[in-house]
Amino acid sequence: MAEEGRIHLALFKDVYPATMALDKLRELGIPDKDMTVVSGVPYSDRILGRPKYMTRVPRYSIVGFVGGFILSLLLNLGTPYLYPIHVGGQPLYSIPPTILLTFELSMLGLIIFTFLGVLFESDFPSLGPKIYHPEISNGKVAVVFDCPPEIHTRVHESLAALGAEWVHRTEAKQL
Amino acid sequence: MTADATPISQAQIYDEEEDPRQHLMLDPRPREEMNSMVMEAMHTTTREYWIVVGVLTFLVVVCLFGAWGYMIATGMGVAGIRRPTMWGMFIANFVFWIGISHAGTFVSAILRVFKAEFRRPFTRAAELMTTFGLAAGAMYPLIHLGRVWTAYWMVPYPNQRQLWPNLRSPLSWDLIAITTYLLSSTIYIYLPLIPDVAMARDRSTGWRYKFYRLLALGWRGTETEWHNLRTAINIFAFAIIPVMFSVHTIVSWDFAVTQTPGWHSTIYGPFFIAGAIFSGVSAVAMILFLIRATLVNMKYFVREEHFDALGKLMLIFSFTWAYFYFNEYMVEWYGGDLAAKTVLKAFTQSPYGWIWYLMLFCNIAVPWLLLWNKRVRRTPWLMFVIGFLINVGMYAERFIIVPTEISTNRFPFMWGDYFPRIELVISIGSLSLFLLLFAVASRLIPLIPVWEVQEGQLAHSLKRFGKHEVATKSELE
Repeated sequence: MAEEGRIHLALFKDVYPATMALDKLRELGIPDKDMTVVSGVPYSDRILGRPKYMTRVPRYSIVGFVGGFILSLLLNLGTPYLYPIHVGGQPLYSIPPTILLTFELSMLGLIIFTFLGVLFESDFPSLGPKIYHPEISNGKVAVVFDCPPEIHTRVHESLAALGAEWVHRTEAKQL
Repeated sequence: MTADATPISQAQIYDEEEDPRQHLMLDPRPREEMNSMVMEAMHTTTREYWIVVGVLTFLVVVCLFGAWGYMIATGMGVAGIRRPTMWGMFIANFVFWIGISHAGTFVSAILRVFKAEFRRPFTRAAELMTTFGLAAGAMYPLIHLGRVWTAYWMVPYPNQRQLWPNLRSPLSWDLIAITTYLLSSTIYIYLPLIPDVAMARDRSTGWRYKFYRLLALGWRGTETEWHNLRTAINIFAFAIIPVMFSVHTIVSWDFAVTQTPGWHSTIYGPFFIAGAIFSGVSAVAMILFLIRATLVNMKYFVREEHFDALGKLMLIFSFTWAYFYFNEYMVEWYGGDLAAKTVLKAFTQSPYGWIWYLMLFCNIAVPWLLLWNKRVRRTPWLMFVIGFLINVGMYAERFIIVPTEISTNRFPFMWGDYFPRIELVISIGSLSLFLLLFAVASRLIPLIPVWEVQEGQLAHSLKRFGKHEVATKSELE
């Protein structure tokens, strides 16, 4: 979104008027990239009528899985190579335990990187000031948008007509 | 031809049927009200609560850390383990707690994957059981180790001794599998908790505000945040299931890869998993009863329908456990190996014979005789008692597997009985630790995932078909 000071927040009781508000904002010339919905429960893109969002979290998961897999191979194959312990009649490299530990470490990598993916992609932790309204966690749905000053009166009137309980230019505050 | 037919009134029809609003998903309340109910539950601490916390803290300090410290200072001689029974209650406790920890993953991940709606209000309580059960269980290999200060030798790092851990050893597998499971289950609790701690942040002041603000990481509930969170939860739900299976399979291999009669069995992996889920789900029923009984407003969230669903699961897993047990017993008995048959004989004729009968009574007779009855399943205190008995039975099973079977080995001149000593005190300590962690968590984090409950309630509605209203569910995802 654009610079602070142009950001507005409209609070709705329900998701339906919020989706109507999104349509209205588009009608008034505000592009999709300049608005977002903030809610206390997840709504899909279809419900909100928003362009499909592709999260990059699965990519982190894949990277973690591959990393864990490689680490496991290094551990399983590198250990007997660097520190060989010859036990009578037994091969130096043992396949079944290698499979087992490869599975565990690959999953460990996947899990850690999935978590890191959520943190990076959501810009967490970010404890600084943000645009928010505490009523959102009470089930209200907020539409946050970047509004050019020349149309903001018209936008406010339109959103109020759609049932916005609260619509204001807003500034980032400490959460 | 005439027929005398007395018309049945609509009221009569409904009297005979259950009121759909007894289901949480069909009895929605405003989000604000649900938030307040959960916050009130977290903030209400009675005198009895502090007494319980005090007693549990005392037991943890004295029975767990005190007794463990005494054992470290004095030596393993104060424990009952000695030749031939070098694995005793410590290992039985380890298997038991790891088993309990499977409940969270089962309830939260498997039921989430299959979209079982009844899971919604108690996923967090079950997930907490996983983490706290693992915390209690993971201590036992260290306790059993004796010289606990050498535990780091299991971690692979270049050292002066030029030795790396033997990755072919099931004990190394245990370390890696349990670490993986502990980390995954902790993250798996935390991710769905973020929106709820953000809710708590918005309603708190003082130290609680600071605590929740830190935990919420700056969560607001934007589309991007929800997308990332939901995707991650879905990935976790699928990934953690095989991890859960692998952990208890590996625990079973601690026994099964040896040549000890009674342990060397190819069915041990699935048998352990069935038993773990059986005891875990029963423990969830117990915890839900305690939550309902001790926290305010919880009767709205945790209802008879949830005990009913858990009761059905307990019955199914009782069948599964019995099937595996009979299968294992049958093959050992039919195989005719003298050592194996001796172990089977020891089940009933050793000094611990009563434990074997107790196991069968608690794990088979109790659930089969009681849980088929809907009224029993919908009576919370009865479900608590049944859950308790099942866990007694499952503990008995672990006790039979560990010290009983190892004390009747291939060499009759090395047979011996096992009597726990300091193990009993440490066991009380670890149980107290589990309960203490739960008691503290119940006042610190929202035990009910409010956003998940509201999401479920938004998706459910009543639809009229003819003269009857039936529950329908919309796919919101």
